Parts: sequence; C-alpha cells; structure tokens
Amino acid sequence: MSDTPVLRLQRVNKRFGGVVAANDVDLDLPPGVVTALVGPNGAGKTTLFNLITGNLKPDSGEITLRGESLLGTDARKSALRGIARSFQDLRLFEQMTVFENVLSVMERSALPWQPGGRAAARARREKADATIETVGLTNWRDARAIDLGYAEQKFLSLARILVTDATLWLLDEPASGLDPASYERFVNLVRGRLAHGITICLIEHNLDIVHGISDRIAFLDQGTVLAAGEPRAILNDPKLAAIYFGERR
Amino acid sequence: MQGYILNLLILVSISGILATSLNFIIGYAGIYSMAHAAFFGVAAYTGALVAMHVSTSLLVTIPIAMAVCAALSLVISLPSLRVRGDYFVVASLGLQMIAFTVFSEWKEVTGGIGGLTGVPVATLFGFRLASLESFFLVALTCLALVVLIIYTLVHTSFGRSLKAIRDNEVAAATFGKNPIVIKTIAVAISTAFCGVAGVLYAFHISFVNPESFTVDQSVFIMSMIIIGGTGTVFGPILGALIIHLLPAGLTYLTFLPARDLASLQQIIYGAAMVLLMIYWPSGLIGRANVKDTWAK
Amino acid sequence: MLLLQLLVDGLQLGALYALMAVGFAVIFGSTRVFHYAHGTTYVLVGYLFYWMAERLAVPWWLAAALAALAGVVFGVVLDRFVYRPIQRDEGSFFTVFVASFGVGVVVENLVVIFFGASFVSISTPLTRVTDIGGGIVISYLGICSMLIAVALFVLLNWLLARTDVGVALRALSENPELVRGFGLNPRKLSQYAFAIGSLLVAPAALVATCVTGLTPSSGHRVVLISIAASIIGGIGSLRGAGFGGLILGLAESMAVWKLSTGWSEAVAFVILFCFILARPSGLFGIRARV
Repeated sequence: MSDTPVLRLQRVNKRFGGVVAANDVDLDLPPGVVTALVGPNGAGKTTLFNLITGNLKPDSGEITLRGESLLGTDARKSALRGIARSFQDLRLFEQMTVFENVLSVMERSALPWQPGGRAAARARREKADATIETVGLTNWRDARAIDLGYAEQKFLSLARILVTDATLWLLDEPASGLDPASYERFVNLVRGRLAHGITICLIEHNLDIVHGISDRIAFLDQGTVLAAGEPRAILNDPKLAAIYFGERR
Repeated sequence: MQGYILNLLILVSISGILATSLNFIIGYAGIYSMAHAAFFGVAAYTGALVAMHVSTSLLVTIPIAMAVCAALSLVISLPSLRVRGDYFVVASLGLQMIAFTVFSEWKEVTGGIGGLTGVPVATLFGFRLASLESFFLVALTCLALVVLIIYTLVHTSFGRSLKAIRDNEVAAATFGKNPIVIKTIAVAISTAFCGVAGVLYAFHISFVNPESFTVDQSVFIMSMIIIGGTGTVFGPILGALIIHLLPAGLTYLTFLPARDLASLQQIIYGAAMVLLMIYWPSGLIGRANVKDTWAK
Repeated sequence: MLLLQLLVDGLQLGALYALMAVGFAVIFGSTRVFHYAHGTTYVLVGYLFYWMAERLAVPWWLAAALAALAGVVFGVVLDRFVYRPIQRDEGSFFTVFVASFGVGVVVENLVVIFFGASFVSISTPLTRVTDIGGGIVISYLGICSMLIAVALFVLLNWLLARTDVGVALRALSENPELVRGFGLNPRKLSQYAFAIGSLLVAPAALVATCVTGLTPSSGHRVVLISIAASIIGGIGSLRGAGFGGLILGLAESMAVWKLSTGWSEAVAFVILFCFILARPSGLFGIRARV
C-alpha cells in the first residue's frame, strides 16, 4: 500500500467574520484507512468536510485529492471526482422510496436518459437491490424514506454511499444514536470496504466508540488540529480530554 | 346542447394540458412557476400568427409554439435557478407582468388590447378541423400524449432526479446531480406543453387577446392542481374538470346574480386555496424544503 | 424640460413605491412570510377610502384614517388566522404563498362584486398642481406624499432603533429561535410587523385613489413592485427596500421620456430581471448563499 495520502489539506484557513472555522489546518488522509475527526461542538469538523467538497471556499491553503487540487470544485464536481459524503442530518430523499433513494444516486446525467441503455439500467437496478440487501433494508425496499425508523434511515444513508463508486468517503456522524448491535453491523459494513480500496474519514462525537471504528484520529478544537495519530494515544491524552469536556484555561 | 358539451370538453382538455404540465414542475420538482398563463399566451399568439401567415397545420403551429415557449423559459430559468428556487417564483411573476404589457402594447404584432381576430380553421394532414367533434378528438389526443409523456418521464431516471432535487437539493448535488440543468430542462418541457395548449386555444376560439392571459388565468391553473391534487398524474385533469364544471353548476343556483358568477367562482377557488393550505397542506406534495435556506 | 418634470414625478412615485416596499420588507424580514396579500391590503385601503369618502360622504381625513386602520387590522388578522396556523404546522414558503395568493383572489373578487371591475377614483382639490419654477409642476398631493414618506421613514427608523418592539423585530429577523430564548414572544412580535408593514402601504393606496385611480387587480402590481424593490435593494435591508422603491419609481417615470406609458410599466420588472441575473443579493443585501 502506497504512502501518498489520498487527501491532503495544507495550511487551510477559513474565517466567518470573527469566527475561525479552520486555522492553518494540516491533515492527511492515508489510503485504505479510517480516519476519525473528533472534537467538541463547533470545532470545525463539518466545516472541513464542506471545504473538501467545495461547499465552502478556503480563504487560503491547498486541498489536493491524489495530488490534484480540489480548489474551485463544488459539491457536484467533487462527487464526479470520486468523493461521497453523508450528512449529519441525513438529507435523505424523504418522499422517495428506499429503492429510489439508492437507485437515484447512481443516475447522474441531467438528460432524460442515462448512458449505457437498457443493459446499464438493469445493472443499476440490480446493484441497488444488492446494496439494499447488504445493509439489511430489503424489507423496507418500497417504503418511503420518511417512514423509516431512525436506525433504518442511518443505514439507508450508508447504502447511498455504498452504491456509488466513490473512493473517498466523508461520513458526518454516520452512526450516532445507533444501538450497540446496529452499531457493530455498521462498523463491519464500513470497515469491510477498506479492502476494496476505499479511504474513509468520519466525524464522530462519541469518544467511547470511535476507537472501534478508526485507525487514526485527528483532534480538532476551534478550527485547529491539536493532535493526530493513533487512537489510543489521542484518547488517553488528558489535555485533550479536558478540552473535549469543556474545561478551558 | 351537444355543441355546449363539446365546447366544454375541449376547454377541459386544454386546461388539462396546462394543469398537467404545471404539476410536472410544481408537484414533481418543487418549482413554483406563476408564469404559466404568460407562456400560454405566448403560445396562443404564436399559434395565431403562424396560422394567419404561414400555415394552419397543427404539425407546423404546435412545434413552433413549443419551441418558442421552451426558448422563452430560459429567460426565467437561467438567471433565477442559479440562485435559489424562491427567486424563480418572483422571476415568474415578473415575467407574467412583462408578458401582459407586451401583449397589450406591441400592437404591430399582437394587435394590442384588441388582440388578433380571425384565426383560421386548424388543419391536420390537409384535413380541415372545422367541426367541434373533430377538434375535440384532436384536443383529447394531445392531452393523452402530454399525459403519457409526463407519466413516462416521471418514472425514468429524470423523474427520480427531479424528485431528489425537490426533496433535498444539496444532497442531490452532493451525489453528482446537476440541479440547475435538470430544473431548467424540466421547466422547458413544462412550458413546451403550454405551447400545445396555447395553439389549441387560439384555433378553438379563433381570436387571441391579452385578457385571457393574466394572473387570474394563472390562478385558474393553480387551483386545478391544488384541488385535483399534486401527487398524481391524473389529479390535475380532475381539477380541470371540476373547475370547468363549477360555473355550469353555479348557473343552476338561480338566486345568484348572473354577472357576478365569474367572481364567485374565483372566490370559491381562492377560499379553497386558503383553506387547503391551512388544513391540508400535504395536498401540495411538491413544496420544497425552503426552511433550511431562508431561515439561516 | 420634460426630463426634469419626469424626475420630479419619479420622486413622487418613488416615495410611494418606497413605502410599499419597506412595508413588505418589514413583514418579510421579521416573519419570513411571503405576504403576497400586501397588494390586497393596498386595494382594501383604497376601496374603503373611496367608499367612505365618495359614497358615504365621510370627511376625507376620517375616511383616510379609518381605511388605514382597516388595512392594519387586515394584516394582523391574516397573520393570526392564516399565516400563523400554517407556520405552526411546518408551513413552507410556498404553502404560505399559495394561501396568501388565495386571500388576494377572494378579496379582489369581492371588490369586483361590490364595486365593479373598472377604475374608481376620488376627485380632490389636492390634485391641483403648483408651479415650483422652471415650468415644473407638482401637485399638492405629490408634496404631501413625499413628506408623509419621509416622516414615516424617520418614525420607522426611531421605532426600530429606540423602542423595545423595534429592537425585538430586528432581532426576530436575525434569529427567531434566539428571540424565544429571551422570553419574547415571536407571535406577538409578528403582529407588530404586520401592523407596521400594512400601515406603510396605506398612504400609497390613499394617494393612488385620488390620482391614478384604483382597480380590483391593482394589488398584483403593488406587491410585485414591493418584492422587486426588496430584491434590488437587497433582501434583509429595509433601507435597501426603500432605496429600491425610489429607483423603481424614478425609472418608471423617466422611461416615459422614450417609451409610452404602457411600456414604462414593464420597466420595473426588466430591472428586476437584470438584478436577479447579475446581482441577486441586491445593492445592500447580504450575499445570497445557495
């Protein structure tokens, strides 16, 4: 496995008026590995995702994907370059069924037809059904997304990511609120993809469970990366714990 | 009597086309256009002018009107879809007002307030559609074709993309869809169908003037969708039927003064809109989730 | 000196447009309601004024005051009985818009039933013009409207800057949740917003009844001009809305220099389109984020 990072942020800065959302951020996402971004609320974790996908433009700094700059991209273009992203508030297509949610994500062409003709269409439908089965939502295939329970919605959100051919996943609190059994199933699904060459970065709030899912951790506070490295080292650092739990000097 | 019924059914067919095409963007895409009457008018004037100077064949007038409407839709789509969907409502209202001014003032082309009269009889493959029966068949066929095309579109990837954008535009873009292009195409398709309706209308009543294409007409079309339901492909047609039958029904209530019937109709539609929005807003499935953009 | 005359006319028109626009902006800014029935308030005030002053021989100042009051009541009632119920139930922008539009349709047609569809107006000596030098004329009413506009804007400025209600309204437009957190009641505040906004549109209606006349469908143009001015001036800026109204009034009036009056009515909307195309955030608004 090569060592060149799939995604690299170099001295990325972003301010909103007086608020520093990203402060000289240096971050590498190595390939085939799950990196977790942790930190207290408002630390700038979601902002980093937005900067990577181009929803926000950095004030300065460089963001590269496999060596090529991501600056000037937008949400749509980042998808075309192989980045898939989930949201903390899920953003499912609520009035559409589970099947439609998963299928639609593969249909990117703006024209009233997709490339590849009937054969490709059939292949997409089969892939959608297979993915729905992988996440265990076959029973809800034709239910509307808005009618699903919380855990099912989380798995649908994951299904939409799974079904794309993206090689970099940005998951924003993908498993928060799941019960232990569902969480375990989730972790296995996510980590199982690493063998397929996927690189994953996820934002996670719950420090107790984060070490079960990630290989590396980056700790953010007020837009600054305070530490990055092995989970055990980071999680056992008392200074970081103090920041996380709100004691500041 | 038969003439009266046929006339009514032709108007219902034309309104059905208008309502179905508007529902395509409101119900399935969450794009609220208030300019449908303007496009209807543009199509009617185009159809009348082509019929009077070039050809009375439906196979010539309809495609030309469709192209003109679709091209004109780019005038509102391109600027406003770039920004936010709600700007589209404003832009469409603005276009509606400008269109009315153009219809009334561009006397050399539109005949001004008096409009264009003496639109010749429509022809199809050389056959003159002089009778109400034959015209009704044509109108009904057009309605059926429009419904078929929209039904098909809704069930393709394009329809899914539209619905995805309606439900959550940010997520749709994040997964690689191009909301601006998709919405622009949807609006162009919708207005192209206005083109069909406008030409049929011009031929049917043989004259065209600005009065038929005001905001009130947009109200009519909106009411058909709201009353008939936005979630289905046939709802708008049902709405068109109800809205056209209502005046006939009202004439039976002889205690109502005849000259106020049109206004009473509109009052009923307006009141229905208000009450439906208060008590049954889910009847309007196509509403976009604007809360997360305006509220910030 | 046609151009100068048109400029003066444009200032009068602009003053009235500015009032309407700021009225709309106050409402939309604080409550996020797309109050299409703002135009309906205008029609209501105008027709009530006409009815009382012309048909019932009520002294004009009393008729004007009562009509303006009716306008305020209309706005507040709409908020209470139509908009609030909808917003309570997860009302989206469009649901509110459709309801507002529906109200407009109902009132417009009631007016048609009671007053007919053609123009109504009141003749008053105030429309007589006076020469202000250089052959430029201006009517007393025109002077009045500009003075009223200025007075109301000064009043509004004081209200928003100095009074509790005003400050709360500004806070509401920034962050409704925060307002609730401070123990203020957004619902009560929105009543104030509708009252103020509806009051601002009254002078325009009263003046129009005397000068240009009114028809039941006048409301559409009023609310669209208000929206256009708000967009041009910048969503979120009351000053911008006023400025936008002034610009639109001037543009429409000056357009007569080259176009007929019929065409000049479309000028405002062409300007609107240009802004949506080139600068959707308007002149003073916050950058419109998608």
